[in-house]
Amino acid sequence: MTALPEPPDLRAAFRERGYVAGDALATALRLVVALGKPLLLEGPAGVGKTEAAKTLAAALGTRLIRLQCYEGLDAQSALYEWNYARQLLHLRAAEAGGRAVTDAELYGPEFLMQRPLLEAIRQPTPPVLLIDEVDRADDAFEAFLLELLAEWQVTVPELGTLTATARPYVLLTSNRARELSDALRRRCLYLWVDYPSRAEELEIVRARLPGIDAELAGQVTRAVHALRELPLGKPPGVAETLDWAAALVALHRDHLDAAALELTLGAVLKLREDQLLARPVLEKLARP
Amino acid sequence: MTAPPSQADLPSRVAALCAHLRSAHGFRLGPGETAAALAALGAVNLGRRREVRDALRAVLTASREEGRVFDAAFDTFFRQGEAPAPLRLPPLLPQTEAPLPPPPPAPASQTGDEGAAQPTPAGQAVAGEDDGDAPTPTHPNPEREAEGEPDAPAPLLHARRSPNAGAGGGVTTPEDDLAELLRAAGALVRAVELGRGRRLVPRPVGSRLDARRTLRSAARTAGDPARLRWLGRPRRAPRFLLVLDGSRSMGPHAARLLRFAHALHLRSRRVEVYAFSTDLTRLTPHLRRAVPGAALTLPDLGGAWGGGTRIGENLLRLAREERGRVTRDTVVLILSDGLDTGEPETLTRALRDLRARAGMLVWLSPLASLPGYQPVQRAVAAALPLLDAFLPAASLRDLHALGGRLQR
Repeated sequence: MTALPEPPDLRAAFRERGYVAGDALATALRLVVALGKPLLLEGPAGVGKTEAAKTLAAALGTRLIRLQCYEGLDAQSALYEWNYARQLLHLRAAEAGGRAVTDAELYGPEFLMQRPLLEAIRQPTPPVLLIDEVDRADDAFEAFLLELLAEWQVTVPELGTLTATARPYVLLTSNRARELSDALRRRCLYLWVDYPSRAEELEIVRARLPGIDAELAGQVTRAVHALRELPLGKPPGVAETLDWAAALVALHRDHLDAAALELTLGAVLKLREDQLLARPVLEKLARP
Repeated sequence: MTAPPSQADLPSRVAALCAHLRSAHGFRLGPGETAAALAALGAVNLGRRREVRDALRAVLTASREEGRVFDAAFDTFFRQGEAPAPLRLPPLLPQTEAPLPPPPPAPASQTGDEGAAQPTPAGQAVAGEDDGDAPTPTHPNPEREAEGEPDAPAPLLHARRSPNAGAGGGVTTPEDDLAELLRAAGALVRAVELGRGRRLVPRPVGSRLDARRTLRSAARTAGDPARLRWLGRPRRAPRFLLVLDGSRSMGPHAARLLRFAHALHLRSRRVEVYAFSTDLTRLTPHLRRAVPGAALTLPDLGGAWGGGTRIGENLLRLAREERGRVTRDTVVLILSDGLDTGEPETLTRALRDLRARAGMLVWLSPLASLPGYQPVQRAVAAALPLLDAFLPAASLRDLHALGGRLQR
């Protein structure tokens, strides 16, 4: 393995960008940069998995290329497509001019539409490639990813094999909607990202909303942690904590009271049943 | 292994850790992973124990459950100080049978960590990954218990006899009618129709023009797309989520329905199986390892088998914790007699949540095949308005008929 340049102090770089990374995440990201292996991040929704990739790109000063996975995603949509309409027009124009069109001309770069994966491996400098919610894609797409992650090359029938000019830093995220294959897991570094501790979440709120009142920040994080103890259908993630705190700041509140709770409950609990279940707990935490 | 760590013996220590994780806990680690672990150590500060642990965990584990086992193993292999307390590691996979140690003098306190594997002696199988709030810190040997040996302290025995307690113990089912069950499972997989998938595949007639294939065929007609090719959406292959009531009241039906779950798992890879009694546990990993055709043997399922029934609480836990596994492709099959000691409101809440996200919500009850059966049990009465179907499941004939009954 070729020696890679010493990665920057990612923890500090993340902190500068308002992302408070825990020890395990900072180490795992450091390994992504140093070893060039993909990292699979699993954990509940809203703990900052996608945000980690965005922040890594910003910290490394490189591009973020994102592939959002969904059911039915196929290799063609993720890799490349030919611009068929332009190809047909080109054919027609050549025919009208009495000129023959060669395959090389018809399948030239001007007709190639790069999708995220092809774009990622053709960058001159390594980008951060985020393969988001890989558990939503089908097994067949996961199998296709294996080849790409192992060889860093893809085959376009009309162009031949394209090898990565610079290996991207790859982050995959999963919410465990489907069990991923052992083969994919083996090719990746792995990290389970859980909800942050109360102290860490308070730090995140302060980092993201520097002007927030200290009491309000404390109340919000305390309330969110109490909510996560309840059997909610959709427990609040860090994103909801930040939304809630930002909503309260926008309303010029310096503490959480019943009126503020009424106005902003929708920022943290997105299901009516959850709101009904949590209201007594939140009212206890709100200052009269 | 009790010597303080030094950088000189680090490679051998890492290799030993990998070998231990592989042999004792079933981690899939080969020479490639060991080499990657050593490479990872080259990228972190070896003076910081926490950084070393985080780096090795990232390389050597592939799931949250493996992470927990890894942490305990790491503490043993890279122990600090001279007089450490020996740690007992909970194996992820059952190891060879070993005599049980005497029970602890006092019940151990539960950890706050949901689903955390308790440190149990090597050689003793842990209940599974979801048994965090199992009622006892260790699982007594059911055979010994059956023989009346006083091998557990009085409070433990008392807890086991309470109507809400989980009996635990390993589960073994006979192998008799697997062929028939496979036929029934196959019919069910083929019969369920949940609409069309989103993936576009080449079809003779479809909803979207297949430009690539049309253009390719146009090459044969001098660029004239004389024959259009189409893409269409195939039938949506169903996923199954089976929730099996393993409580005492289910009696022999539970074993048959468990075999049916195994048969369904053999017929489709898109099957998740959970069992519950007082507690909930995921059976899919055990079924994946089971040998088709042989008797189905599961390790101690703790509070998920043979105890009391808490349908609502366990379904609510399932709906919350496994939220991601229930999609519009999912047929949720609840296999239960509906004899519940819990509150129907909890069950209603859980079923409403599942119904909102699942493609189909079906309740299979062994009691429903009895002549003159009336769905008057509190749980069943509360569930009926939320179900797509309430069907009998007492015999092979009932299971064979499932496919036809669920056809839309």
